[in-house]
Amino acid sequence: MSQEKGITRHQGKTAVAVLQRYSYVIAFFALFILYYFMNQNLSWTGVTNIFRHSGVIGILSLGVGLVIVTANFDLSIGSILAFSASVAIVVFNMTDSILLLFLTSVLAGGLCGLFNGFLVGKAKLPAFIVTLATMLILRSIAQYYCQVLPDFYTGGGNNLYKLASTPAKNTLFSFGNSKFLSLPMVGIALAAVSAVVVYVTTSTKFGKKLYAVGSNAKAARLSGVNTDGIVVTVFTLSGLFAGLAAFLWISMQGSVDPSTTGKGNEMYAIAAVVLGGLSMSGGKGKFLGIFFGALSYTVIDKIIASAKVDSLINDAIKGTILLIAILAQGSGLNLKGIRGKFVKPDKQPEAAVSK
Amino acid sequence: MNMLEMRGIHKSFFGVKVLKDVSLTVARGEVHALLGENGAGKSTLMNILAGVLPMDAGEIIVEGKALKHATVRMTEGLGIAFVHQELNLFNDLTVYENLFFSKEITNRFGTLKKKDMIRESERLFKRLGMSIDPTLLVGSLKASEKQTVEIAKSIFFDARLLILDEPTTALSNDEIEHLFSILNNLKRQGKSFIFISHKMPEVFTIADSYTVLRNGEFIGSGSIKDVTPEALTRMMVGESYSSRSFYVPRELGEPVLELKRFSGLAFKDVDLTVRKGEILGLTGLKGSGSSEFLWTLFGALPATGGEMRVHNRVIERNSIRKAMKAQVSLLPPDRKENSSISEVSLLENMYISEHELSGRRQHIFRKREEKRFRDLQQQLSIKANTPYDAITSLSGGNQQKVFIARWLNTESEILLLDNPTQGIDVGAKAEIYKQMLRLAEAGKTIIFNTLELPELQKTVDRCAVFFEGRIAIVLEHEEINEHTVMMYATNAVQAEEGVLQ
Repeated sequence: MSQEKGITRHQGKTAVAVLQRYSYVIAFFALFILYYFMNQNLSWTGVTNIFRHSGVIGILSLGVGLVIVTANFDLSIGSILAFSASVAIVVFNMTDSILLLFLTSVLAGGLCGLFNGFLVGKAKLPAFIVTLATMLILRSIAQYYCQVLPDFYTGGGNNLYKLASTPAKNTLFSFGNSKFLSLPMVGIALAAVSAVVVYVTTSTKFGKKLYAVGSNAKAARLSGVNTDGIVVTVFTLSGLFAGLAAFLWISMQGSVDPSTTGKGNEMYAIAAVVLGGLSMSGGKGKFLGIFFGALSYTVIDKIIASAKVDSLINDAIKGTILLIAILAQGSGLNLKGIRGKFVKPDKQPEAAVSK
Repeated sequence: MNMLEMRGIHKSFFGVKVLKDVSLTVARGEVHALLGENGAGKSTLMNILAGVLPMDAGEIIVEGKALKHATVRMTEGLGIAFVHQELNLFNDLTVYENLFFSKEITNRFGTLKKKDMIRESERLFKRLGMSIDPTLLVGSLKASEKQTVEIAKSIFFDARLLILDEPTTALSNDEIEHLFSILNNLKRQGKSFIFISHKMPEVFTIADSYTVLRNGEFIGSGSIKDVTPEALTRMMVGESYSSRSFYVPRELGEPVLELKRFSGLAFKDVDLTVRKGEILGLTGLKGSGSSEFLWTLFGALPATGGEMRVHNRVIERNSIRKAMKAQVSLLPPDRKENSSISEVSLLENMYISEHELSGRRQHIFRKREEKRFRDLQQQLSIKANTPYDAITSLSGGNQQKVFIARWLNTESEILLLDNPTQGIDVGAKAEIYKQMLRLAEAGKTIIFNTLELPELQKTVDRCAVFFEGRIAIVLEHEEINEHTVMMYATNAVQAEEGVLQ
C-alpha cells in the first residue's frame, strides 16, 4: 500500500500545514507590512536597512542556533563578540592589515568557543554555567585591557577600542558600509552565512547529526556518532560566528566599546532562535526560521522607533512577542502530539492495528 | 445480578476503530482476567469504564443501573476503582495520610484528628488481612505493600469493582503470593476484580473467568476452568501464533569473531569463537555480565584485557567507531532510551550510523536514501507509510526493525542484539525471531542476549550461559532446556560436582 502510493516528503501538504510550517515567514511579513503602513514614505534604502541592521544579530543567532539544536546553550556570544572585536582592533593597530584583523577576529571567537566546547563536551560541565562564566570573564578582560593598554594599541579612544585612522581603515570602513546591487554588504554577509547554515543543516550528514544529538544523545552515541565531538564543534562554530559578527561590527562602526557592545545580544539571539521556531530542548527546528526571526526583531525595533514610542518600552514589546511566539509553538506541539498518537485509518491501517 | 455488564462498546480515535462491538461481563465476587496483546483495546475499554473516555456506542450496566455519559466522579460513586500500573501514592506521606488524602478527619477548626485516622486505618488493614503500620512513610514500603495500600484505599472508599492494571509487574514471587492472598480474601467479601495481565501462570492461579480482546474485537470469554494456557495464548495472538519452533539447523561458515581471554568491567576471560551465519545465544541471571559483554564488544563499555579478532584482524578496543568499521553493531535494550531518536524522521533514524561511516562525502542524496529505505523496509517488512514519518508513529516491533535496518544499512556483518524483544508483544516477537533466522541464513552472524529461555530455543545454534561474569558452559541447540540453563546460570552444577568429589 505505501509502496503504491509512492513516497512523498509528507509532513502535511494541506494549505494549513504549509502555513504552520512557515509561520516564521508569515510573522516577518506581517510585521513588515505593519512597518510599511506606519511609514508611508518608506524608501528602498529603508527596506534594505533592515538587512544591514540584522547582520550582526542574525549571524550570532545562527551560531547560537547550532548550539541550541544539540540541546545545549550559549550565553557567552555577546561577550565573545566584544572580546574578539577588541583583540582584532589591537592587532589591526599593530599591523595595519585588514586580513589580519579579519583572521584575528574570527580566530579569537573560535578559540573562545572551543574553550566553551571543551568544558561542556569533554569535561561534561553544564553549558549554562560554563557560558555564564565565560560571558563574565571575556567582557571583563576586554574592559580591563582597554584601560591598561597604551593608546597606540587601543587607537586612543576613551574607553573604546578604535581603529587607527589609516588608509586601510578607510578601505575597511567603506567596505563595511558599501552596497552591492543596492543591498548593504552586511546584509549580504548574513544572507550568505544563512544559506550555508541552511544547506549544512538540511542536506549534509553533519547537519543531521546535530539534530540526532539534540534529540537523544545516548542513542546517537550508540549509533556511532561522536557526540562529545559534535558538542565541541557547535560551541566552536558559535564562537567563530561571533568572531565573524565582530568583524562586521568593526567594519561598520570602526570601534568597539567593551562595556556595551554586544551586551544582551545573547538574549536577542536566543529570542530570534525561538521566534524562528527552534525547540529549546533541541533536535527540532529550521535554520531558515532563525534568519527570519532575526529580521523580525529588527523590524520590531524599527516599528517602535517610527511609532515614536519611548525606546525604553522596546524590550517589553520584544518580550511580549517572544511569549506569544512560544505560546503559538506550544499549542502547535500539542496538536502534533495528538496526531502522532492516532494515525488516520486510510493512510496507515496496519500500523494503527499492530500498535 | 452481575456486578458489571458492558455491551456492544464502540470507540474510534480520529477515524481509527479501536473498539468494535466489545462486551465484558463481570460477576459479583470474582476475579475476571482481561487478556490481550498491547494495543488490543484493554486500556481503552477500562478508561471508558472508569469514565476517563467517552464511548461512541454501547451500554454499561453497573449492578443493574445503566450508566450514561459516565464521568470519573460518577463511576467512583458507583464503586468502581482503577488501580493504575504506576501507583498514585505519595511516597513522602505516611500510609494513613495517603489513605485519607483530601478526605481527612478533622475537628471543627480544621485540625487533623491523626489518632482517629490511624485507628481507622488499622481497623481497615485488619479487616483486609494486611499487616502494615499506618504511620510508616509510603516510600519505605515494598512494592507489593504499596499495591495493597492502593487497593485498601479503594476499598476504604467503598469500591466494589477494582480494575487492577498489571498489578504484578513490579512484584517478586513472594509479594505476588501475598497480593493474591489479599485478593482471595476480598473476593470472599464479595468484591469483584478485573485483572489485566500478560502472565498466564498468574491468570490461572487467581482468575475465575476471562475475556480476550484482539485488535479491538471481542474474541471470547468463559470460565478459566474450561480453558488451557495454550488455548488462551492462541486466542490472544491469533493465527500468527504457533508453538512450533522456528529453528532450522544451518551450515555454518568460517570463524568470524574470535575472543581470547576477553575481559571487561562485569565479565572476565571469555574465550569464544563464533562462525559466519551462526546465531549464538547468551543468557544468565540478571547482572551475570552477558549484557555488558555485548556492549564491550561494541566498544561502548571499556574492555580491560584480552583480544578481539574479527576476520582474523585484531580490533582496537573501546571505540564504537572501530567496532563499526569492523562491521560489528549493537542493538541495545530499552529502545526508547538507547535507540529511538524521536525528533527526527524514520529515514534519518535508519541512516544515522551509515552517515557516520560515509562522513567523507557530506552531501545527502535524498532520492538514493529514499530508495534504500524502501529496500530495507521491504526486506524487513517494516510497516510504515513514508520515510518522513515520526519513529514514534510505529509500533514497538516495527521501531525495533528500523533500528535493525540502521545496522543492515551499514553492511554490518556481526549483529549484537541485547534483549531485542523487550516491551514488544507476542506477535511482533515472533516476527523478530523470523528476521533473525533469515539474516543468519543470509550469512549474518548474530549474538543474541536474552533472559527468556523460549526465545533461545526458537532461534540459537548455541547458547553461552553466564555466571558471575564468566561463561559457565556453551550448550548446543538440542541441549538447551530450562533445567540445564538454570543449573549453570545459578552455578548449581558446581555445587553438585563439589559434592560428588
